[in-house]
Amino acid sequence: MGVLHRLRWAVASAGVVPLLTLASPSFLKVAGVSPSWAVLWLLPWSLADGPLSGALAGVGLGLLVDSLQVGPETQIPALALLGWWWGRLARKGAPIERSLSLGLLALLGTLFLGLSLLLQRHGISLSEPLLRQAGLHTLLAQTLVTALLAPMICSLLLLLWRRQGAI
Amino acid sequence: MPIGRLPRLQPLRLVLRSWPWGLLVLALVAVRLSKGAVLSDAYALLSRPFWPGTAQREWLQSGTGLELLTRQAHLEQDNRRLRMLLDLQRANPDKLTAAVISREPEGWWQQLVLGSGQAQGIGPGDAVVGPGGLIGRVASVTPTTARVTLLTDRTSRVGVWVGRTQRHGLLTGLGTSRPQLVFLEKDPQVRPGDLVVTSPASTLVPPGLSVGVLQAVDDKAVPAPTAVVQLSAPVGAIDWVQVLVTSPASRQAP
Repeated sequence: MGVLHRLRWAVASAGVVPLLTLASPSFLKVAGVSPSWAVLWLLPWSLADGPLSGALAGVGLGLLVDSLQVGPETQIPALALLGWWWGRLARKGAPIERSLSLGLLALLGTLFLGLSLLLQRHGISLSEPLLRQAGLHTLLAQTLVTALLAPMICSLLLLLWRRQGAI
Repeated sequence: MPIGRLPRLQPLRLVLRSWPWGLLVLALVAVRLSKGAVLSDAYALLSRPFWPGTAQREWLQSGTGLELLTRQAHLEQDNRRLRMLLDLQRANPDKLTAAVISREPEGWWQQLVLGSGQAQGIGPGDAVVGPGGLIGRVASVTPTTARVTLLTDRTSRVGVWVGRTQRHGLLTGLGTSRPQLVFLEKDPQVRPGDLVVTSPASTLVPPGLSVGVLQAVDDKAVPAPTAVVQLSAPVGAIDWVQVLVTSPASRQAP
């Protein structure tokens, strides 16, 4: 585990995630769908702070964003798994700083998160064509816009945390 | 000149000389027989610059509008009185205006967050209307905010009916921008373009709120025919909504 979790302001920056989720700025939407702000925060955090901290941050963030939604579906398991995976990825190899790899990781992460939501919602059978259409639309739009924003936001956060935390 | 010829020739010459007068009389007779057709036409032609203009039409229209409003108010009052007699709607909801502070009409969940909550008397289950009709229902409240499930959300279920054919149905959100209407009968006899309002028998939402227009009907769906409904309230553009606050006493009643 890294030292990032000891910096109080870095932990507090996660509070921006529910605020951005609620505000859902319209100029950052693709086809009416907002990016997954939880993924955009969790990716640099896990890369900087390791698997265990990443998984715990995933659980915490999942609790926060779940409380903002009306539906019964949960994002906690997917976010925890993603935090753990990204933390391991950073631990094993060279530091991931290239924008393109950040974008690819965010794309895979959002896809996984969206698929977990789809699975909870419809089960394995996606029989109803209209329902399937709505789910796939949201999944694709959110994956695209999150992957587009990730190189910008995640590399900035990563840079800031690496410099402040002297990791 | 002999005397006997004068009196015979004089009138004839007189008649021959005054032929224009004869024509005039004939014309007058023609006017009389045609019930003054020429006169009316001539009058219309001459008075055309002084015909009633648009200003008068606007007065008439505003008068008609006022009459319709009065009649509507009267009918609403009457309707409320009769409903109270029938004990259908226990209390008249108060309208409370609230600002939309967060909006997510698309995405995984379709919801709004309003800037008024429990402190203003809003409770779970209250209907939320905007310009154009019903938007959704309050799902949960905090002291200063209320979360609204839109009609398009997958968890939304509202009883509606098609006024023209008087058929009931259940409006179910799909997560798309247009919810689905599932009819309760095999043959609902509806067609695209029919208006959909909230059910008069509904206990969840006030009756008669406009919801939308039928866009496409699928008669062959099993187990019951379905239809796609285009909602009449533009959720993406609404900044202020009205919450129909029911009193706590009637909320606790089943």
